Amino acid sequence: MSLKLFEGFRFTGKRTPIHRMDPRPKLLIASSIFLLSILFTNIIVLLILLIAQLPLIYLAKSLRRWSNSLRGGAVLATLIFIMNFLTGSTLVFSLSMTLRFLVLISAFSLFFLTTSPDDLGLVLERLHLPYTLSFTFTTAVRLVPTVALEAQTIVDAQRSRGLELDRGNIIERLRRHIPILIPLIVSAIRRSTELAEALESRAFGSCENRESLITLSMKWTDYFVAIATIIILLVGIFVRLWIPLPSLDESIRLPSIWV
Amino acid sequence: MIVIKAQDLTFTYSGSKKPAIENLNLEVKEGEFIVITGPSGCGKTTFARCLNALIPSFYRGEMKGFILVLGMDISKSTTSQLSKYVGFVFQNPENQLFSLSVERDVAFGPENLGLPREEVRRRVEWAMKVTGITHLRHAAPYELSGGQQQRVAIASILAMKPKIIVLDEPTSFLDPLSAHQIIETVSNLRSEMEITIILIEHRLDLASRYADRVIIMDRGRIILEGPPSKVYGEDAEAIGVGIPKISLLFNLLKREGYDLGCTPVTLEEATQAIRRRIMDDRS
Repeated sequence: MSLKLFEGFRFTGKRTPIHRMDPRPKLLIASSIFLLSILFTNIIVLLILLIAQLPLIYLAKSLRRWSNSLRGGAVLATLIFIMNFLTGSTLVFSLSMTLRFLVLISAFSLFFLTTSPDDLGLVLERLHLPYTLSFTFTTAVRLVPTVALEAQTIVDAQRSRGLELDRGNIIERLRRHIPILIPLIVSAIRRSTELAEALESRAFGSCENRESLITLSMKWTDYFVAIATIIILLVGIFVRLWIPLPSLDESIRLPSIWV
Repeated sequence: MIVIKAQDLTFTYSGSKKPAIENLNLEVKEGEFIVITGPSGCGKTTFARCLNALIPSFYRGEMKGFILVLGMDISKSTTSQLSKYVGFVFQNPENQLFSLSVERDVAFGPENLGLPREEVRRRVEWAMKVTGITHLRHAAPYELSGGQQQRVAIASILAMKPKIIVLDEPTSFLDPLSAHQIIETVSNLRSEMEITIILIEHRLDLASRYADRVIIMDRGRIILEGPPSKVYGEDAEAIGVGIPKISLLFNLLKREGYDLGCTPVTLEEATQAIRRRIMDDRS
């Protein structure tokens, strides 16, 4: 399950209009969705926010991976719903909170699926983040699938030696994961040493003002998307402040069902 | 011109009692192609690490004697200072590629050197051409085969225009065909540029053909050294070095009493030796 969640955030080098888009408007879209989903608790708005992403995801030819990331988040989403509902929130409000979580996952899944960590690094550099910091970040993003693959290999290896992962209660299960965790950590440390060696050998950090081969450049479509996103965001903020929205909330709460 | 000069070089990793290399003496001339081989743990990787100052600046330990690389004392240099002059290709291609496109990865080194963009662009194009990966420009390293990845790693080192290139078992993760191609690529470098090559390798069948000199190490010391035809005798076999099959055959024949008077490294040399012998017998 957890590996599937990562799959939904892993960059795929497809050649679609969304992939080709400059990373900055894409980041703007993701952050705007983030902001709007935080501003609104109205279930209709949140539903619109989720559905509005579908055409983009379809354009990026990433529907399957996107649904994987949602499925990966399903357990947590269910948990959010149950916790809200049990603590006395209305049914609609609990659903909204769950939906908000899914909107967030979906927005960032769309961003990471279609934005190369390299491009993300360039954006961070533009934001005047120190190069070592942006490099660390992009390397972490890049290594997630590699480490996930390694974890799978270790799981297979330990299973073939008779390790049973899915038996016993939750404590027992956690304990059974220790033989997975230790080799994984050891190999991660070894990998990081090798990476550091290779970085040293490529003159990493030897020069203050490095110039990147690739530079970001916005096309008119990128400007168009950015402006459209900002307008939608502003409209959203305006509506939130001054226009009351119809509420679907019929105050269905847990105790009232019980009573 | 001597580009590498090691004198009584001894290095002990911190936490270890036995030195990894001991009293190593070696001189390498500019433009030489040197193959270093020997059983695992013989100190060849440790020696390679000395060449670009990973020892002692990255790996701690006690160093005795000295080693000069292009006249620079490595105990007073850092790896990133030396990276302009000494390129290092590692065993595992996966852990030496940092970007998600081949082009950007090749550019990574020159970018770090702070070169202007046009120069980076020129070097990237050149390095991709020399290693034959220009068509992979936009591919992501994880989409490539191991052999292609290793070629990218070599290209990204070349783009820094080093004087010396050190390859630490670059073919050990590869299938025979890719390994062959990598060795070919490496040997082609000499026709492209003035470069000294230090290749650490177990697959001597492939590498020996191009080597000017073979160095066999065991337990931290240089045991045998010289042109391949002189080195691949019975002593090398005894250490456990996988000498080329054809050399092995001639050694076996010699043991059986058929001394053909040489140890060939390639098939061509072997056929010549046999033909010579037949001619001698007839006359």
